[in-house]
Amino acid sequence: MQRRAVNILFLLAAVWLVAATQAGYFDHYVLTVLMFMGINIIFATSLNLVNGYMGEFSCGHAGFMCVGAYVGSLLSVAFFSSSKLFGDPLFPPELAPFLFPLVLILASLVAALFGLIVALPSFHTRDDYLAIITIAANYIIISLIENIDLIGGPRGFSGMKRTINAMTDVVDLPWMLIWVLIGTFVCVTLLYRLVTSTYGKGISAVCQNEVAAEIMGVNTNGVKIMAFMVSSGLAGLAGALYAHLYGYVNAQAFNILKSTEGLVMVYLGGMGSLSGVILAAVAFTLMVELLRFIIPAMNDLLHAGGLLPASFELSQIWKWVLIPLILILLMQFRPEGLLGNKELTHVFPRLKRWVSFK
Amino acid sequence: MALLEINGLTQRFGGLQALTNFSISLEAHDLIGLIGPNGAGKTTVFNLVSGFYTPTEGTITFNGKPTRGLKPHQVAGLGMARTFQNIRLWNDMSVLDNIRIAQSHWLGYGFLDAVWRSGRYRRVEKGVEKKSREILDIMGLTEFTDELPKNLPYGLQRRVELARALSTNPKLLLLDEPAAGLNSADVDGLIRHIRWIYDEFRICIWMIEHQMKVVMSLCQRISVIDFGRTIAAGTPAEIQANPDVIKAYLGDDTL
Repeated sequence: MQRRAVNILFLLAAVWLVAATQAGYFDHYVLTVLMFMGINIIFATSLNLVNGYMGEFSCGHAGFMCVGAYVGSLLSVAFFSSSKLFGDPLFPPELAPFLFPLVLILASLVAALFGLIVALPSFHTRDDYLAIITIAANYIIISLIENIDLIGGPRGFSGMKRTINAMTDVVDLPWMLIWVLIGTFVCVTLLYRLVTSTYGKGISAVCQNEVAAEIMGVNTNGVKIMAFMVSSGLAGLAGALYAHLYGYVNAQAFNILKSTEGLVMVYLGGMGSLSGVILAAVAFTLMVELLRFIIPAMNDLLHAGGLLPASFELSQIWKWVLIPLILILLMQFRPEGLLGNKELTHVFPRLKRWVSFK
Repeated sequence: MALLEINGLTQRFGGLQALTNFSISLEAHDLIGLIGPNGAGKTTVFNLVSGFYTPTEGTITFNGKPTRGLKPHQVAGLGMARTFQNIRLWNDMSVLDNIRIAQSHWLGYGFLDAVWRSGRYRRVEKGVEKKSREILDIMGLTEFTDELPKNLPYGLQRRVELARALSTNPKLLLLDEPAAGLNSADVDGLIRHIRWIYDEFRICIWMIEHQMKVVMSLCQRISVIDFGRTIAAGTPAEIQANPDVIKAYLGDDTL
């Protein structure tokens, strides 16, 4: 019972959320923020596997999210709705609620394959050099997609809302919320189980002393492939969910700025701390939303105080000044993040009764 | 059949000949020393044997299998373990985890088992944990099970590294300067410890060591290398009397 406490708690919270949404308790905006939180958790915790546990600096994580978003969108449209690109739907739209997991899984698997772009060079390079390769991977993926005119090129791709509508036609439930909750749960459970297994601890061994790991019997190249593929696969899952949440994807949404968001969440939470990064993803999502209100308020205040010239407006673009600034301040004053490589159970030992990170 | 058979091993790094024509044969229950002045090529020998370098020339046969082309983790899987000259523990994981990870080569389950927590996963993990705790018990490290190695005193870190190597059930244990950085009381303890491991586990131990006290009191045979060449081999008494060895260590007295 105690061992499952966290799972049960999550299940109860999820059921409550779905029920409350169904009862119209949340407006559309709050709901979108909630779902975005889940997607950010998946995005950040998967990046944490490489940047935190394995100690490599991947800064092109959004590229894999982009792959997942496009593959998920294309499959979803091909499967469940008629379109100019694919013609008639492959399956009757009534099957959407049952076959949608297949879309998510395939999107993750393809994204995982793209993870090899980074995994294979990692056999011979590390640190800064690998970081440059990850940025390159991000750009390769975005440029690739932008140049395939068939799937919209730079105009983006849409039509995924029809899949969600098809689900609602079958059973009237907040389906998108349900899939985000399931995706988040699967992602966190998978990562938790991986990093607490002896096999998965090989990832940290590679980080802390690669030579010792290889010589003491850890297949370091195998571990690297596994970690990069799991990480990018889960980013793909986040991407597929993201695409369906907005009903529209555009490759430019997954550029280096998106990757930077992931980095901020990981370094805010603490590298190699699963619970820390989950907290950071939640906090970061809230913070970005708060900025939507704070920036105009600041603008008004500064204008009222005469501190800004009347011709100059503080726009939402300032978000992209503030978020990287957080990264700089973090690196300067608390490079290990909120929790360092510790888990919440180290900070609050009483939690150990409910969950153990051994 | 010899456990480890090395023939004509030569290693060149660019223009530097680090090791020339090195040969040795170790039996299943030997305790052998490898000595030589700094930079003589001793650690190079160990790095070649454990598969970290691929030899320029020569053959290494371990337990009847040529190891050329094998990755270090595959060589480890054949039953070879080593410790390092400067301790290489995984410092941010508990002592127990350090031992657990060293079991990687026989886990036999994969990613899906780990994530699904299959029956095989649970069985293997139980075995790994039991075995790790046993080895910590044998090595007198039980009270440090949950400590981080970086918080332990140097002598204990060395012992954890030794425990980690032994936990892989090696047939051959390579010790790279096990006494480096230990004070004289610790060195006496280490000598007893190595002798005890040698008797208890009945394995082959091959060690590089600078402290003559350790080598002379433990090893049955010693080989001496200098500038990558084997200059002497024999029992401790023979080595101590060998003029070439004295010359290598103390220099030539004819100026």
